[in-house]
Parts: sequence; structure tokens; C-alpha cells
Amino acid sequence: MIELRSVTKQYRADGGGFTALRDVDLRIAAGEFVAVVGKSGSGKSTLLNLVAGIDRPTAGEVRVAGTALGGLDESLLAAWRGRNVGVVFQFFQLLPTLTVLENTTLPMDLCSTRSPRAARARAMELLEQVGIADQAGKLPSGLSGGQQQRAAIARALANDPPVLVADEPTGNLDSRTAAAVLDLLAATAGQGRTVLMVTHERDVVGLVDRVVTLADGSVERDVRTPGARAEVSHG
Amino acid sequence: MASPRWTKLVRDVRSERGRLALMIAAIAVSLAGVGGVLGGYAVLTREIAANYLGTHPAVATLELEDGADAALVDAVRRLPGVADAEARDVIVARVRVGGDWRRMLLFVVDDFGDVRLNRFRRERGAWPPPDGTMLVERSAISMLERDVGGSVTVKTPRGAPTEVAISGIVHDPGLAPAWQERSGYGYVTRATLARLGEPPMLGELRIALAPEASSAGEIEARAEEVARWLAGRGHAVREIRVPPPHQHPHQRQMVTVLVMLLAFAAMALVLSAVLVATSLASLLARQLREIGVMKTLGATASQIAGLYATLVGAVGAAAVLVAAPLGVLGTRVLTGAVSRLLNLTITSDAIPRWVFAIQAAAGVAVPLLVAAIPIRRGARQTVRQAIDDHGASPDAPRAWSSTLPLPLRTALRRPARLALTLGLLAAGGAMAMTAYQVKRGWDASVAKVYETRSYDVEVVLSAPASRELVERLERVRGVRAAEGWGYAPAAFTRPGAVDVVRTYPDRGHGSLVAMGPPPGTQLVRFPLRAGRWLAAEDGGTNAVVLNHAALAQAPGLRVGDEVRLSLDGRPSAWRLIGVVEEIGAAGVAFVADAAFARAAGTAGGVRMLRIASTARSGEERSGIIRDLDRVLEAEGAPVESILPLAELRTAMGDHVLVLVRLLVAMAAILGAVGVLGLVSAMGVSVVERTRELAILKTLGAAPARIGRMLLYEGLTIAALSYVAGCALSVPLTMLVGGIVGNLGFLAPLPLVLSPAAAVVWLVLGAVATFAATLVPARRASALVIREALGRT
Repeated sequence: MIELRSVTKQYRADGGGFTALRDVDLRIAAGEFVAVVGKSGSGKSTLLNLVAGIDRPTAGEVRVAGTALGGLDESLLAAWRGRNVGVVFQFFQLLPTLTVLENTTLPMDLCSTRSPRAARARAMELLEQVGIADQAGKLPSGLSGGQQQRAAIARALANDPPVLVADEPTGNLDSRTAAAVLDLLAATAGQGRTVLMVTHERDVVGLVDRVVTLADGSVERDVRTPGARAEVSHG
Repeated sequence: MASPRWTKLVRDVRSERGRLALMIAAIAVSLAGVGGVLGGYAVLTREIAANYLGTHPAVATLELEDGADAALVDAVRRLPGVADAEARDVIVARVRVGGDWRRMLLFVVDDFGDVRLNRFRRERGAWPPPDGTMLVERSAISMLERDVGGSVTVKTPRGAPTEVAISGIVHDPGLAPAWQERSGYGYVTRATLARLGEPPMLGELRIALAPEASSAGEIEARAEEVARWLAGRGHAVREIRVPPPHQHPHQRQMVTVLVMLLAFAAMALVLSAVLVATSLASLLARQLREIGVMKTLGATASQIAGLYATLVGAVGAAAVLVAAPLGVLGTRVLTGAVSRLLNLTITSDAIPRWVFAIQAAAGVAVPLLVAAIPIRRGARQTVRQAIDDHGASPDAPRAWSSTLPLPLRTALRRPARLALTLGLLAAGGAMAMTAYQVKRGWDASVAKVYETRSYDVEVVLSAPASRELVERLERVRGVRAAEGWGYAPAAFTRPGAVDVVRTYPDRGHGSLVAMGPPPGTQLVRFPLRAGRWLAAEDGGTNAVVLNHAALAQAPGLRVGDEVRLSLDGRPSAWRLIGVVEEIGAAGVAFVADAAFARAAGTAGGVRMLRIASTARSGEERSGIIRDLDRVLEAEGAPVESILPLAELRTAMGDHVLVLVRLLVAMAAILGAVGVLGLVSAMGVSVVERTRELAILKTLGAAPARIGRMLLYEGLTIAALSYVAGCALSVPLTMLVGGIVGNLGFLAPLPLVLSPAAAVVWLVLGAVATFAATLVPARRASALVIREALGRT
């Protein structure tokens, strides 16, 4: 489902170059729930951005859901991302002037995947799933952090994308709420969706299928966790 | 449920009400200017046609030696190619207003019941005027200080001063307003003319052609045919006058002025569009993260661009709605002012639809075009750039700029925006200074009237008088010096043809005279444009010097060329030795007085007296003029006009007043747009640096310090724009001064750079900058650190 081949990413800075990822090879199969861990500056977020098509590699190839991202221009990439990748941010990033329901229907509107009526039904269904259907008419500012992140997850799932990426989705939440959000992501993975999550949390091992540890832009360790989801194959 | 992205746009707009109102106001103000000027153009050109062409202006006037009677007029009417003909006359008389004599044109009409050409319309009072009375053109009422029922003393060249009652008021759209020309306009019958002491002869034969001629050249040719026919029957034609066909005397001026105003209005519109673009850039800066999120959710660049383009389109549309009625108001003001300037009656002030169509199209399209730049940039921002925007140092300062002072360094972070803001402010300032400097240039040109002439009273006689008159006048108390000049109506001629001049019936516009100044004249000193001035030895040669207005009537002439002139109908050939600039005069050909006497056959008589008085005030001068008048009358000199130089100056001042006011109005619009631009740019700057400013606060910067920092930045931008504005005002003043000067004097205005204007704009600019920076600075210093830093 996700495949990185010899991917290098360099950033230019005033004091010279800075290599965020160095010759990374990584394959993630459909339906896998993978945690990416590592110290600050190890390249976790860069890896996630490359998979989501938010950023482009300096060298190497990124294939996601059967598409080589290098061949798409910005507009095609945006349209592709809208249908194929759901993105969950650390700071939720709900649009402040739209209600929770409107935030959730937005991806369907942008990608023209459903009629307004169907989009609304789908959004309600997702909000129901994440447990905040009763908050649908509120603006994000009226919601707690956990509720906002649930809304963000509902929004990420709106177009039923095969891949979900989450950048420290629990980084801004208290531990009880964080656990609930992680459970929600695990449940999403359970529905056959590939989930790639950057995290600092130590105790995700029991929830994810695999933990990829980055150090200085390289994969230091790639460990399959002996958890409940051993039936998923990878290669 | 509306599509969520549009819902978002509507709600964003609601939270940006103030900024949006600013954008709409800026566009609306300039658009109103565009609409007002366009509407004025449309209405005025139509109304001039209705007014001027409605008078059935004669295309040519043939001046007959012996006058035209009814039978001759009838015969001319029947000539092939002649649509109509009418005999008229125009007498240059004088009228006494208060204690002073002023110029007065008396239009003599044979039959007021059958006015066919150059028609005029009764406004009130009698029609036709009973014998012994006259009708007065409405624009002359204020000049004569009399209305219907009153009477004035009129003196014709051959007659004695005679009291004439004003029996009615007419409107003659073919004449420039009397108050502008400093001339009274009266309409009399032949019988009244006789009572005024002139032979009741009608010396002018005015004709209209059928089919109409397409050019002045064709009119001339066909009028010459008529002249030959007349000559064949023993009626000698002294001169043919062909005014520019189908054109009001001031039409060219009006069109040029309107085009210039339109150019300024269009410039204001572009500047407002730039303002919209900078404001939009600010909106986009604040929404950058949201744009990034939307792109993450699958929004394409064109979807994002579509959203903001719609917003700009809506702003434009709203501005159009506001501007349309304002533009109508502007059109009313403009047509009102110009109709007074051209002595028109606006029969319909309906503004054609195309004016509104252009206004609407410009209001929407221009902002969209200019805003396309920030929209494109905002929409094309990659998701990572958008999401990574921390509100702190989005643009790293250029390495080379580290040596510059801090406010300048900060301003230089966004060179494109700095350029836009600078452009707005500089253009506003340059325009304001230009308006003022053009006014000063005009004043300087008018001042040249005095600088180049040492006389302050000019007497023109209707027939040459002996030179002894000059000595007699020199003895009048208060006269410092007097010179007797040769003077004759003149025309550029071709050999064997009748003289053709380009004069309107008011005898002022487009006329040419020949003058013979005494050798070494002390009373004029005109700046040379080419060649040299007359010398003492030129009395024996055929040397001629033209003033620039005369040269404009015979373009292409160069020093050394032969110039054929007729002086009072007598042909002569001359050699052009120089061209001088003579501000405030019609065309003049100067020849040495001995040569003049030979060519005009005046045997040394003088027809013009230029007198330098010792008067220090207008009243003193009026007293001296009255004394001169008495002497001239006692000597039996046939006075055509006595003109104090001050009259000339008033006439020129009145011509330009409206123009200068309009320029100032345009400058005010541009200045306002410039200041709005600074407000907007400073607002953007604060928004973009919210986090940076919060960090400064965290580090202990007091709110007042942050406010001061922004103020310095604003003042730095204002100072830069000030320098640019001052620099820009120089070529702009030259350009506008060139246009205005050519309209008024056929010569560009001198470039007068006004330190006063520069200082005023400096103070205004500083105050405006202070005000423009106040709001964003207050917002910045009121930032709550947690909120500002928590934006990430």
C-alpha cells in the first residue's frame, strides 16, 4: 500500500543543507497500523508528509495506494490526496469558521465525491462513529481537545481513503483522551485501512502492528509487535 | 445546505468586515471618478453636438468689402452646393461698466424672425429687440452688471457713446462664455447699429454647404468658389473665415481635459486595485494555514483560487454598486462645471448605458487582474509551506540587508509588498504635489504676461492715427512711456487666393494680427524659441518674427522660410527670422514698423498704443485709463478697445480654475487610496508577525515599545515613499503641465517645483502614517502572548 524506495529529503537552510531523510526504504502493507517513533528531528514528520503527498522527496520514489506521487503535479496531487489519504494533525486543524458537521463534509465537497445531501448523511454517520454526533452543529472552538481530534478523524475518513496518516494525534491531549483517540485509530485500522502514525507515546505497542524507529533520517529499527493483528502480512 | 467551502468564505468575509469595507471604499472612490469622467465625456460630447450644431453654425464666413443685401444673399442661397446663406455683421465696440470701458461684440442681425445660421435662442425678454435696444447673451450679464430693463453705454468705433437699453436675454451656444473672454455680447438690428453711428451694412456673408464638406480644406475650396462667383459680380471678398468644422471653440480643450482626468481616474483605479491586492494578501496571510488544511483535504489550487477570486469579484461588484450613483453625481458636477465653461445648456443629462457597462466591467475586472498575483501565490503555496507557517519570519531577511537599520530591514522582508505600498503612497503624493505644482506653473505662466511686457494698458484703434498721438498720450499724467505700433488683422495666404483665416465669429479664437513695433521697443521682451528678434536694420528688410500661437496656425514653418501674409487684405511676402513665446496672446506676426507701414500702406500711422503707467493699483490704473480715454476722444482717435493687462490675466485665470479644482479632487482621491494602502500594509505586517511580536513580549518588550517599533516601520515606508513621490512628481508635473499649458497658452507650463507642496505633503504623510500605524500597533501591543504563540 505504501512504498518508499531510496528516499532522501534535504532541506536548504541559510547555514547549508540539512538532510531530514537519508536513503530510506520502507514498505507498508494494506491494513497495517504502523507507529513511527524517534527523537525530535529524526525525520518522522518528513516521512509522513512524503507519504501524504504534502512534501516531495529530493531523491527516490514514493508510491502510495498504487500511485507514484512523483508523477503528479500539485493540483493532481491535491485531488489524489483528497480521495486517498486522510490526514490527522497534532493541532486538529479544524477550520474555525465552519461547524463540526461542515468541517466533516468539506473533503467531500472539495473532491466532489458525494452530493451535498449524501455528504451530510455520511458526515453524520462518521461523527456517530467517533462519538460526537451531538456536537455536529457546534463550531470547533466550542469543543474540547479530544472532541476536536475526533472531529478531525471523522473529517480524515470522509472520503473513505485507503490510507490515514496522523502526526502526533495525541500530542496535545491528556492521557485518558489520548487513549480513546488511539483506540479510535486502531478501530479505523481494523476496518482494513492502512494507518501511519507519528507518535511519542510509549505504550502504543499493544495497539499497533509495527513500530518503525527513525534516527538521524534513517530507519534504525523496524519491529513487528506481537499483538492481536499478527495475521496481517508484510513484505 | 450550501457547500461548506462557500459557507467558509461567507463567514470569513463576515469576520473581515472592516478590511472589506476598506477595499470596497477604495475601489468605489476611484471607480466613481472613472464613471464621473466617462459620464461627463458622454453627456458633454452629446450636448455640445446638440447645442453647438443645433445653432446651425456657418461653416464659412465671407467678408465682403461692400456688404451684402437681401438680393445677393438670395442669389448665394441658390448657388449649387450652398445649403443656406445669411448676411450678418460683428462690430467690435466698447461698453462702459462702472467707470471702465470694456470690449463688447455687437452681433448685427438683419431679421430676427429669420435667423438661419449661428442661431441663438431667446431666454427671456423681447424678441426681436425693439430698435435702439439690444439683446444680451446670458453669460455676459455678469460682465455688464446689468439685466433686462437696465441700460449700458455703448460706443462703436465710428459712433459716440450711446445709451442702449437691454430688452432681452438670449443664449448663444456657439460662443465661449463672456466672463471668460472678458467681452460683452450684444445682439442688435441694423437700425440700432445706425443709431450707434455705424453704417447699417452687413459685411459678413455666412454660408452652410450641401452636401456637407468633410474637412476644413474642402470647406475652404468650396467657399473660395463662392468668393470667385461673388467677385465675378463685383463683390470683392476680403477674407474667408473657416473655423474648425463642427467644433465648439473650446471643444478641443474640453476633450483634452477630460482625457487627462480620465487618465488620473484610471490610475486611481489601478492603485485601488493594488490596495485590494495587498489587503487580499493580508487575508491570505492569515488564512494560509487554513488554505494548507483545505489542500490537505484535497482542494486543488484552482478551487482555492476560485474562492478568493469570487471574493474579489464580489468586492468589485459591491464597489460598482456604491460607485454608480457617486459617478452619476460626479457626472452632474462635471457637466455642470463644463457647461458653464462652454456656455452650454444641458438639454438632457441622461448618461448612456455604455458608461455604466464600462464602469461595472472595470470595477470587477481591474481588481481581479491585480489580485490575481497574490491569489495565485496563495493558491499555489505548497501544503507544507502553508502548514509550516508559524507566523514568525515567514521570509528570512536577505543576508545583505543586515547592515540596514532595523525598520528598513523589516520592511524589506516582503520586497513586493513594500513596492506596492511604496507605489501607492508615492503615486498619491506625486499626484497631490503635481496638482499644486501645475497650479503654480500656471501662475508662473500668467506671471510671464507681466514679466515679458512692461506696458499695462493697450489701446487698439479701428483706423490708423498719426504718430503725434503718441506724444500727446505720453504727456497724460500717470503715463511713464507710450509706444505707437502698427497693427492690422492678418492672415496666412497663398498666392492668388482669397485670404482664409481660422477664426470663429467671436473674433478671438484662432485669430492672427500683424504688429509693427517701433525699433528697439522697450515695452516687450519675449523669450526666443528660435532665430532672433527684430533689429533696427530690419526696417528695410522683409523680416518677420512670429509668436508661438501664430506658428501653431502655420505648422512646419522654419526660420529662413518665406511667410506669405495679408495685412488688412494687402498681400505681402516675408522671411521668418525668429519665433518668440508670447503667453496670453492670439497669433501675432511682428515686423519692423517701417516694413509694416510699407506692407499695410499706413504711411507710418499707428493703430495700437502700448502704454506703461505709473499705476500701483487697479483703481489708479482705471483713473489713468479714463484720462487716456478723454484725450483719445478729444484727439478724435477711433478707439476699438482699451485693455488693461490685468483683464488678460483674469481671463486666463478663469479658464483654468475649474481644471485645477478637478486636479486637486483627483489628487485627494489618490492620496486617500495611498493612505488606505499603508493602513492595509501595516495591518498585514502585524498579522504576519503575530508570533514574532509575541516572542518579543515574552522576552520583556513593553507594549509601548512594540507600538513604537511598528510606528518606526510605518514612518520608514512613508519616508521612502516621500522621496519616491517627490521624484515622481517632477516628470508628472512636466507631463500634466505640458498638456495644460498647451491648452491654455499653446506652450508648456514652466516647471515650478514647490517646496511648500513638498513640506505640506510631508506633514500630511507623517500624520497619515501615524494614524495608519496606530490601529495595527494597538492590536499588536494588545496581543495576548498565549494566544499568539498558541496559533501553531
